[in-house]
Amino acid sequence: MYHWRAVDLGSGPNLVAACYGAGALSSLLARWSGRLALGVGHLAALAGAVAGLGVSLGVLLGPPGRTLVQPLPILFPFARLSLAVDGLSAYFLLVISLVAVAAAVYGPAYLRAHSPDAGAARQAAQVFALNVFLGSMALVCCAGDALTFLLSWEGMTLASYVLVVSDDRDGEHARAGLLYMVMAHGGTALLLIAFLTLTERAGAFDFAALRTAAGGLDGTTRTALFFLAFGGFAVKAGVVPLHVWLPRAHPAAPSHVSALMSGVMLKVAIYGILRFAFDLLAPVGGPLPSSWGWAVLFVGTTSAVLGVLYALQQHDLKRLLAFHSENIGINLIGIGLAMMLWRREEAGGALATVALTAALLHTMNHAAFKGLLFLGAGSVLCRTHIRNIEELGGLARRMPWTAGLFLLGAVAISALPPLNGFVSEWLTFQALLGGARRFHGPEGLGIVFAAAMLALTGGLAAACFAKAFGVTFLGRPRSPHAEHATEAPRSMIAGMAWLAAVCVALGVAPGYAMRLLDGPTAGLLDGPGASAVVTARGPLVLSTALTPVGTEATAISMTMVAALFIAVAAMAWVLRRGWRCAPLRTAPTWTCGMSPTARFDYTATAFAKPLRLVFAALYHPRREVTRETAGTPYVVRRIHYAGEIVDLAETQLYHRVEREISALAQTIRARSTGRIYGYIGLVLGTLFAALLLLGLVYG
Amino acid sequence: MTGSRPLALVLVEMILLVLLGPLVTGAIQKMKARLQCRQGAGVLQPYRDLAKLFRKGTVQADTASGLFPLIPVLVLAATVAAGALVPVVRMGPPAFPLGDALMLLGLLALARFLTAVGALDAGGAFGGMGASREMTVAPLVEPVLMMVVFSTAVVAGTTELGALASSRGASWLLAWGAADFLGFAAMLVVLPAETGRIPVDNPDTHLELTMLHEGMLLEHSGPGLGCMLLASHTRQIVTLGLVSALFFPAGPWGGAGAAGLLFGAGSFAAKVLVLAIYLALVESSYAKLRLFRVPQYLGVGFVCAFMALALRIL
Repeated sequence: MYHWRAVDLGSGPNLVAACYGAGALSSLLARWSGRLALGVGHLAALAGAVAGLGVSLGVLLGPPGRTLVQPLPILFPFARLSLAVDGLSAYFLLVISLVAVAAAVYGPAYLRAHSPDAGAARQAAQVFALNVFLGSMALVCCAGDALTFLLSWEGMTLASYVLVVSDDRDGEHARAGLLYMVMAHGGTALLLIAFLTLTERAGAFDFAALRTAAGGLDGTTRTALFFLAFGGFAVKAGVVPLHVWLPRAHPAAPSHVSALMSGVMLKVAIYGILRFAFDLLAPVGGPLPSSWGWAVLFVGTTSAVLGVLYALQQHDLKRLLAFHSENIGINLIGIGLAMMLWRREEAGGALATVALTAALLHTMNHAAFKGLLFLGAGSVLCRTHIRNIEELGGLARRMPWTAGLFLLGAVAISALPPLNGFVSEWLTFQALLGGARRFHGPEGLGIVFAAAMLALTGGLAAACFAKAFGVTFLGRPRSPHAEHATEAPRSMIAGMAWLAAVCVALGVAPGYAMRLLDGPTAGLLDGPGASAVVTARGPLVLSTALTPVGTEATAISMTMVAALFIAVAAMAWVLRRGWRCAPLRTAPTWTCGMSPTARFDYTATAFAKPLRLVFAALYHPRREVTRETAGTPYVVRRIHYAGEIVDLAETQLYHRVEREISALAQTIRARSTGRIYGYIGLVLGTLFAALLLLGLVYG
Repeated sequence: MTGSRPLALVLVEMILLVLLGPLVTGAIQKMKARLQCRQGAGVLQPYRDLAKLFRKGTVQADTASGLFPLIPVLVLAATVAAGALVPVVRMGPPAFPLGDALMLLGLLALARFLTAVGALDAGGAFGGMGASREMTVAPLVEPVLMMVVFSTAVVAGTTELGALASSRGASWLLAWGAADFLGFAAMLVVLPAETGRIPVDNPDTHLELTMLHEGMLLEHSGPGLGCMLLASHTRQIVTLGLVSALFFPAGPWGGAGAAGLLFGAGSFAAKVLVLAIYLALVESSYAKLRLFRVPQYLGVGFVCAFMALALRIL
């Protein structure tokens, strides 16, 4: 293998930040011309993404264990800021950059086509926020100290908030933005407590000092800190039941930003969980407390199943995609399993590596196909201005490229071979099986249950995407907008094709990507890298040892199966043409003798109905049918149907909290006098009480 | 680890499965007819049907997209590729790794997904109805199949079917424990669902109240329909092959040499025949369940499979 010697990577992270910074600045300077701002801003974002690709590949393919450290300008007298890019950071930078390339290529045409009458100032603001968003995501992953991490984390939240509310000025977007802000800052508050507890003990902000400080923690504090951080990151990752902001905020943003928020921003939270669990808070030389792994596995399993079940009943294309945070659940299953197995295996076992490899690979896979699907939804949206799939249909004939690429993404996200979603799910299943063999008793049972739920998730995702693709792109158009849709501009298709190529490459030849996973897996787990375990038999074969090395293992070859599939398909194509090559006739679809109209198409509501009834306990479906009859009940003039399902987390949890807060506010309002000295007195009283308390505790 | 099945043998087995698939359907139809005191068509009828379909022209719905003619090709390819993963005449892993049981189930799921997508393409209500029902039943069947696979794989330490089968050894019948019986019971419950038969689906009718899989084929015609039918014959024999690899491996009697291969082929035929008789008996003696009863029926399978797995773990 070769090393990257020609380029000095040392200043690479700064170059990435500089590109995004230049993009943000130039779009502000060019705010008098929307066209110019869009062009320059996205070009700079593309440059930043390509630089990010270069830096991350340089670190991942370079000598093992390498960490780039780069000091940042001194902004605060009390802390030295720095960037540190190790294997884990570089891998997540790679994931961000992969999707950022697509978003930067896709963006200009999308923003122009979607809202042609938007003012130049708004477009400039969107591009500014996009660059800040991308830059701060990159900085979060490359941060070498707590302060840089938290500042970039906040920058990421604020920039994405601006993007969420930027598209439209109606109440719905504003409410979505507000909910997002509240949830995100609730999470940030938890992170702040976790970080500040550590920095207070360390007396410094950089991660190396935090690691040393965490070494001296007792078990309870360590676990408490982990759960604080996990809670903070879980809000951002949108795990059930903290997911309520996802389906509102993600669809509200411009589609390429939705792709970034859903495909990448959630992954930054995964990065945070990994950094905290395996690096900052990990006990020296010992296994992680078993409660951590259990909690992550449980949360992951719940999110996987509930996420896909709620997605199944959504008929808004972007909302449906946003609900598919079930993939974060699959990620968390892998991570939780790695936490449980790490340093608990008998000698020679490498199951933790398999589990972590599965989770990390799924991170990249999910970014690729989720990004692709959101971009596809964006193409549909910008050509039809409709998000409700009931009013779409027939788009495959009008937008063949978009349809084909969306179908590819749908197959990938449903974890079907030969695409990439299957590879990471296969690895997750293998790790789960190995874990079940390793832990007998209740632990094994829990792992097996997670495996069963993961299997259920895969089937439900396939059902969901058969619906999403079929109802949106096939059949007859059910509205004039869908009828007159045309193919998306070329640059948008190019953005989608890039991500589709990633999906195919990672599906057909995943063995070659394992080398990229060496850095993060070996770095975090202090053991063999991913390629030494998973591609021990050459890059064409994926193999896992369910038992310690030396006994029977499972091996598959995605490449061979894909080749077989293509060869058989070629033969089937010959068969399909028939022996006589008889001419093809077209005829209207048979609709029992009536003249076929778009009303004969099966709707998304109808498609999802059987599963709605099967899982009625979770959905609490409600429907209302009103008939308008002409005198007798047998002649129906029109039927009005309205149906909805409820999100259990929302009604059982959030609405209650909201009611309590409102009631409390009412009580306070009754007591509040409106006189300013009353409030000042209250503030002084609180301050006095706080000081007294502090004095008692530390005195 | 060197495999005991060269790639050529794997391909021959795959072709054998495709060629014999219609025969199994024909045999089940014949048995059903005899059980219902009818003469019935000959066992070769599915071949005649296929031959006729491949000679016909194609009529396609005018609303169908460019994807529609590709659907039968891709469905057939996915199903046949799944056939390459089933050990037929000889147990043991293939010389070059291809895919395991999860890949097999994944390829079958891909075929089902594409069939459902194709059914929505023509824009008729029947196709959508079939697709909707099929995609309702599938997510309930797949976890059961996977757990049955896991319950044997946890012992063998591999999910590769050939290796799994050979690891059970010669005395598989004597070594059956409670977990095996439960797992096999779960398999018997989901087998009619996976092969599209009563009490879950009815392969003989196009009546919209009862059909699942047939509803999705309504808009296909000529060679395309032929491909879809060949795919469902193949799917059936692949599923039966999966069951026999998991529960009745031939063991080391199917050794090297022509005699061993012949013995393997013969025992495979016998196992498939037994399972086919089971399917015919179930189809003749039960009524089709209402769609919303099906989840409860499959729930029995789920519980059996989970119990089987739990017994292995504990």
